[in-house]
Amino acid sequence: MGKPAEILRRLRMLFHRSQLDADLEEEMRLHRDLRRRQQIDLGLAPAAARRAANIRFGNTTRIQEKSRMTWGWESIESFLQDLNYGLRAMLRSPALTIVALISLALGIGANTAIFSLLDAVLLRSLPVKDPSKLVILGTADWDGISDGFAITELYSYPFYRQMQQKNAVFSDTAAIFSMLNKVHGTVVGRSETEPMAVQLVSGTYFSTLGVRAAIGRMLTDADDNSEGDHPVAVISYSWWKRNLAKDPGVLARKLKLGSTTFSIVGVAPPEFFGTKVGEAPDIWVPLSMMQAVPPGWTGYKENFSESLYILGRLKPGVTITQATTNVNLLYQQILRGFPDSKLNQENLQKLAKAHVPLTAMATGISRLRGQFSEPLQILMAVVALVLLIACANIANLLLARSTARSRELAVRQALGARRSRIVRQLLTESLILAITGGALGIALASAANRLLLRMVSGGLDEVPLDVSVNLRLLLFTLAITVATAVIFGTVPAFRATRLQLTDTLKAGRSPQGTSGKNPLARTLVITQISLSLVLMVGAGLFLRSLVNLDNVDTGFNKQNVLRMFIDASSAGYKEDGPRLPALYQQIEQRASALPGVRAASFSWFTFHEGSWNGFIVVPGMPVNHALDIKHNVVGNGYFDTMQIPLIAGRTFGTQDTATSQRVAVISEHMAKTLFPTGNPIGHSYHIGGDGSPFNEEVIGIVKDVKFGDLQEDPETLDYLPYTQRQVFLNDFEVRYTGNVAAVSTAVQQAIHAVDRNLPITDVTTLDEQVARSITNQRLVAQLSTFFGLLAVFLSSIGIYGLMSYVVSRRTNEIGIRMALGAARSNVRSLILREIAILVAIGITIGIPAALLADRYVTHMLYGLRGTDPLSLAAATIVLLAVALLAGYIPAQRASKVDPMVALRYE
Amino acid sequence: MSRDEIPPGTLYLLILKTLAVRGRLHGFEIADSIQHNSDEILQVEEGSLYPALQRMLIKGWVTAEWGVTAGNRRARYYALTPDGRQQLSVELSQFERVIGAITRVIQTA
Repeated sequence: MGKPAEILRRLRMLFHRSQLDADLEEEMRLHRDLRRRQQIDLGLAPAAARRAANIRFGNTTRIQEKSRMTWGWESIESFLQDLNYGLRAMLRSPALTIVALISLALGIGANTAIFSLLDAVLLRSLPVKDPSKLVILGTADWDGISDGFAITELYSYPFYRQMQQKNAVFSDTAAIFSMLNKVHGTVVGRSETEPMAVQLVSGTYFSTLGVRAAIGRMLTDADDNSEGDHPVAVISYSWWKRNLAKDPGVLARKLKLGSTTFSIVGVAPPEFFGTKVGEAPDIWVPLSMMQAVPPGWTGYKENFSESLYILGRLKPGVTITQATTNVNLLYQQILRGFPDSKLNQENLQKLAKAHVPLTAMATGISRLRGQFSEPLQILMAVVALVLLIACANIANLLLARSTARSRELAVRQALGARRSRIVRQLLTESLILAITGGALGIALASAANRLLLRMVSGGLDEVPLDVSVNLRLLLFTLAITVATAVIFGTVPAFRATRLQLTDTLKAGRSPQGTSGKNPLARTLVITQISLSLVLMVGAGLFLRSLVNLDNVDTGFNKQNVLRMFIDASSAGYKEDGPRLPALYQQIEQRASALPGVRAASFSWFTFHEGSWNGFIVVPGMPVNHALDIKHNVVGNGYFDTMQIPLIAGRTFGTQDTATSQRVAVISEHMAKTLFPTGNPIGHSYHIGGDGSPFNEEVIGIVKDVKFGDLQEDPETLDYLPYTQRQVFLNDFEVRYTGNVAAVSTAVQQAIHAVDRNLPITDVTTLDEQVARSITNQRLVAQLSTFFGLLAVFLSSIGIYGLMSYVVSRRTNEIGIRMALGAARSNVRSLILREIAILVAIGITIGIPAALLADRYVTHMLYGLRGTDPLSLAAATIVLLAVALLAGYIPAQRASKVDPMVALRYE
Repeated sequence: MSRDEIPPGTLYLLILKTLAVRGRLHGFEIADSIQHNSDEILQVEEGSLYPALQRMLIKGWVTAEWGVTAGNRRARYYALTPDGRQQLSVELSQFERVIGAITRVIQTA
């Protein structure tokens, strides 16, 4: 008995159902005819013969149904029937269907989009072997290079090696340079340099993660055991695809970074993007080569040049507590054991206090997470509320419709339809709606994802995040969709079939009394209004906070400044050679001479770019080691370019050279905090402690500026001239007048006239750069406003739907009122009063809810408190206005009721 | 002349056997044949033949094709497949086992 053959036969029957039905009928008709003829031949009258034949045959309809059941498709058939009927019902009221679908698509789409971003940033595990066993020393909160003692966030290379050898808790240990080297390198054989993101890692990096090469090999510990002689590189799959066009001979290709040529030894697997979420390196190079990769970090052999994250894979059976104990024990041993460890009183105290926490690494390291986890969670809550409102809307619409259909349902029940069959019918209809809405939502989400990603990236190159719709996401959306269908499908379905048949059939248009009271629908509308109020108030707060941030006085003039990155380190310049300051001077001079340029200067930082910081020692003042001074290294024209006002003394000039007295300009706040009363000008200080040979003399005081972000309090800042502090300065600023594009082109040409190999990237304006620093606030403000308005829109549809329904149910009552002499305006205000009451209740509930919710976001606001009366008042007024507008149409319709027509129905 | 309902579960057996003996038949002929061969004792509720035939088609015991009767009318003719023949022997041995058992019970009583 071939089972597959049987299934095949069944399928064939499913598709030829109508043919089979016809065949069966013909066959049975033949049978009865032949029998009838036989009976006639036996001598019966024709009528008697027919009767006899029919009796002997049995109940034709039942037999036909029984035959059909043997095909085994009756459940599918009734489902198809439901489906067909549901689709027709949807098309019969297109307005309702469209509104419901839009509500669902927006609700589900927004949820999917936000969730996919949330998933990419917060939830998704790294694509490596057994990510739950990976831990990182510290919290991965810092990145950079430190020379501090007993810090627990970053580690030196010698420390990593000792930890690797001595620990008893990790099966593998690896180190990652905490910064990505964004360099300009050359693929050997090509003439142009191109941007490459290089990640320095220990040789054990890939084996610790359990990542295997797609082509060639990954790095090994041997690539990393002696400095400078392992010029090998592993490239990312996407870079191989994008930049080498998937060249199968990739292992023969070479890359030139700085002055060193690296051999490509392998290609990473496609899904591996690194260990930092939102940062995808193109190239991995062993830490032993750190000095060869621009800008040429040193520190491979320095015990106190801390720049690495250390991560370990826990041995089987080792708990995180055991690992923490072991790591901390070793931490003390290793630091004390370094021969150049300065174990003075102060450092011993630091060491005694130091504790290395171990952080789970399953989801990777991410700066995005710190920046966006809270905004994303808030947005997730917002869109969840929007979905709730959308669902309430749909529930309401279906409720109204199924009540309007109660007569039809009663007729069907009276004709013998089982209640379960009708409930199933209504549920099928809801499911069609929900699934169509869900599908639209997913389509919408993939478009919204790209938009969101662009918003998150804040005008920079798109953050490399995989936000495509994945399986988990699909399940999440499906769960929302199905839950929605079940919730809003069940309630109306059960209500619709609960009614007393005879009452419904008797009462004509008003099955449930004439009041039109509908507590469930009213509750839903009130809920919608309260939720909308909460969302509107939130949106108002975020918007006002954003406006406050936009209006913050930065201290510098952010208008009309062009800003670009110039990567001299990739063009072969050395940090300590004499060529570098000469290059900077030459570019500054050339650019300043251009028409439309008023001033130009290099600087290490401008705004929101990180910092170089440490404590200083002012002779005669107590030293505060905890107070970080942020240092900037700038050109002579910096203060003119940025228009930072000078308060006292002078700024840098041509008299400040490499050999003259070392000078500094300090911020107003620094002058007040760190110098004795009186004029700080002429005083000196040391950067980085007593050991420093440098003695900076204060020559000027400038106004305070924002340096890290817009929210910060005045910072202790100082400025040093690049003639006296030689470092790579990547920022070049130009104050211009006139057309920015023309000036930008002219400036870039001038730079390339000085050195045509200088890579210029990220050309933007200072204004734009300041705006980028509040990307997440802008994201939250824009999206919460959008969703707040969406919520109000959906609620107004809810109100409109409810009131239209109420009006249609109360036509009789209104007719009677009008027959008794009520004016049209009376009727209109009767309806509007109902709406006002609903809205008032909703707002009364909404206000305390909004105040409660706002308590959670107060710390994200700038220059505002959670109880902002303006936002509250604005939200209330908008809601009231929109609600009355939505209710006006049905109210108007009510006032147009013709009493004669209305009463004729009775 | 009294007519008896056929024992439950034997309808397949009767149809299979009839087809095995007489070859290609349409529904009416099958019903007639069963009645005739049982000396008019076994009476099939004739309609119930058709769901049974549908099921047998699905099981692959019989095939069906349209032909023309002696009276020049379109009729669906059923014929046994090899699977059907095998099923017949299964049903037969099952039937004999049951009848044998019943007979033994009756005889000892």
